[in-house]
Amino acid sequence: MNGQLLKQALLGSLAWLGAHQEEVNRLNVFPVPDGDTGTNMLLTLQSAVEHVRDSQASEVSKIARIAAHDSLMGARGNSGVILSQIFRGFASAVQDKSELTPLELADAFEEAANAAYRAVNKPTEGTILTVARQAGRSAAGAAQQRGATSATVLKAAAAGARAAVERTPTQLRILRDAGVVDAGGYGLQIMLEGMLRSLEEIEAELAKLGPIRPAAQARLDLPEEGWGYCTEFLIHGEGLDVDRIREAIAALGNSVMVAGDSELVKVHVHTDDPSHVITLSSRFGSLDKLNVGDMSTQHRRIREEAGVASDPGPSPPVERRSNGIGLVAVVSGPGLVEIFRSLGVDAIVEGGQSMNPSTQDMLQAVERVPYDEVVLLPNNKNVMMAAKQVDGVTGKTVKVLETHTVPQGIAAVVAFRPEASASENLSAMLAAARHVQTIQVTRAIRDSRSNSVTVKKGDVIALTNDRLRHAGKDYYAVVTEAMNALGAGNYELVTIYCGQDATEADAEGLSAAIQGSFPGLEIEVQSGGQEHYPFILSIE
Amino acid sequence: MAGRFRVVTDSTSDVSPQWRERYRIEVVPLRVLFGSDAYRDGVDMSSGEFFTRLARADRLPTTSAPSPGDFATVYERLSRECDGVVSIHISGELSGTVEAARVGARSVEGFPVDVIDSRCLTICVAFLCRLAAEAPTREAAVKMVEDRVPRQRILALLDTLKFLEMGGRIGRASAMLGSVLDVKPILGVTDGHVAALDRVRTRSRAIPRLVELLRRDLPVERLAVMHAQAPEAAESIRVQLTQELPDVDVETGEIGAVLGTHVGPGAVGLAYIKRS
Repeated sequence: MNGQLLKQALLGSLAWLGAHQEEVNRLNVFPVPDGDTGTNMLLTLQSAVEHVRDSQASEVSKIARIAAHDSLMGARGNSGVILSQIFRGFASAVQDKSELTPLELADAFEEAANAAYRAVNKPTEGTILTVARQAGRSAAGAAQQRGATSATVLKAAAAGARAAVERTPTQLRILRDAGVVDAGGYGLQIMLEGMLRSLEEIEAELAKLGPIRPAAQARLDLPEEGWGYCTEFLIHGEGLDVDRIREAIAALGNSVMVAGDSELVKVHVHTDDPSHVITLSSRFGSLDKLNVGDMSTQHRRIREEAGVASDPGPSPPVERRSNGIGLVAVVSGPGLVEIFRSLGVDAIVEGGQSMNPSTQDMLQAVERVPYDEVVLLPNNKNVMMAAKQVDGVTGKTVKVLETHTVPQGIAAVVAFRPEASASENLSAMLAAARHVQTIQVTRAIRDSRSNSVTVKKGDVIALTNDRLRHAGKDYYAVVTEAMNALGAGNYELVTIYCGQDATEADAEGLSAAIQGSFPGLEIEVQSGGQEHYPFILSIE
Repeated sequence: MAGRFRVVTDSTSDVSPQWRERYRIEVVPLRVLFGSDAYRDGVDMSSGEFFTRLARADRLPTTSAPSPGDFATVYERLSRECDGVVSIHISGELSGTVEAARVGARSVEGFPVDVIDSRCLTICVAFLCRLAAEAPTREAAVKMVEDRVPRQRILALLDTLKFLEMGGRIGRASAMLGSVLDVKPILGVTDGHVAALDRVRTRSRAIPRLVELLRRDLPVERLAVMHAQAPEAAESIRVQLTQELPDVDVETGEIGAVLGTHVGPGAVGLAYIKRS
């Protein structure tokens, strides 16, 4: 398998996953509208092939590397992050190889699965991890056969994945209860099948037409000043000063990304004078993996320019914080965005429930903030993993605060003190986040049974600190029950963040019901404007 | 009595009626204006009456410093009763009162008036007045007071930002405090400046924070819990502090109308002078 074949296989997997996106989404086991696995995987895969699509590289290592890098940047949701790690493992296995034998392809699949396992703190069987490993094993078995080809290896991988997916309900109780297979694993199976389909098509075409011609390049109109060259390389050295390198590179071009550590720094810049960048950078250390691409053959800039133009950018801070720490929060809903902004958050990444932002989205926000140290608040469990990748791709120091809900995020930001050190702030913010109790209220989108709560589609359900605890027919009763279970009478304040689907009358009714049951509580009603949850309650 | 002097302050020092009488402290009132109705702070209206009216008012009252003439009148009268005056006032960063006192003092010829900018306000100024009144001589009083000016601190927990915002006095604290959510700010006054130290959503989170901030400044030689229409909250803080700091005499004071206009009812705080 060479680079162009891998490219075609990736494009095939994208097309096939795109066709099955909704099917994967439907495998959601929770009754709440959640970060949709199919959508997250598809968006991650789209990023992975964004530049692969335009690459004419014949080396498989190059295509794999681009896909690995871009998938990491575009990773959304936990399934997307794991997928990006699969690409990374694959890329590291095929490093320096221009073509893969069937055996090497199978090895790369196995290494991809290993990398995915390593990326997860507590690997769970019955998930995409298990499916990736079984795909690798089946591929390895097929590669041993006489007359093995890339297609037979891939075919075995896809078959192995399918068998593993079918077994996932026996490994995870939550899947068995819901009567579904694992969504992430199924997504991976679809991707492998898509790769196989495109390879088989290509082989059939090859037999008929001979060598494939490169896809026609889109013609682009260059702006007058030109876009120069996309220049990327690694700097190896000792005691490398990432900030100094970034500063030096930034003066020579735009779309600058300089990230790494004291021994290895990755540089990406769009410049009109690549030789100058290379000469200057070689003073810092030895250069490696140098890649200079003519921007005129790439779509990339157009998208970036469009992105930059539509982004208003940060408003200049009134006064620079003395502690030099910036705050970035992931949240959506106009009211909640405004609340986070007014509490001093420097940049907002729109997203959260069922719209998990990518690592790239969060990276851009982090880069935009005028501080070198950034505290990132994911405010959702499914955003956590992608958030944790940001620190590895920026020269800034990014600390991810474990906020799983919006009220936790708000409590943490309230506790932030502009003159206190990073460590003081992190511990105070975490303590504040933990002190808050969150109740999220919505209607079940499907029947389900979990945590011994039986839910019918359309029921009002309450999630206490992200766990489904109560269900019933009306908002007031379910909320009161959830608050009783928390011992809300011992708290002082409940803040109700009303979602876009909650009317003013709903909010007043809920507020009155709470006041009736808990006369000692202070109640504040805020318009959150969030989707999916008509009410989010913060109890402190 | 030969060499005897008197202490003058303004109504923002929140000197209690008892201290005023015992130490013969003269208090020059600031003015509070509800629309066109002008009241002399603490004279025409008690603190309780003021907060009742504040709760009913659709617009915030405005406050204004005494005129130099107000001070001159008091100094003039005292020049016939004693040999000199130590006049201690709210920080010049926060009010024009101390400047009015200086101008007023110059108009009374041949009568020594030491005007001191406390660079603080409320109970801290009351502490300084009492110390001055207990000093043997005017010179000693001035020295004692000036010595303590840099050691005073106020920590205040506001129940709401509303009043501070409406009064336009957020100033430097605004970056941290302007918020859609109802946050309770913890403000500090050090060396004349008001700064936002922290913000919390609930009183139960705030009180330990106030105590923690105080702890950093221990030991203290004077300490008071103060409040604006929140005697119960103040008392519970006082009890807690008495337990934690058995060696310190914890006093209680009430926040008057002028300051009350800016902090709003429900505010509680600590006023103290650090030991040198």
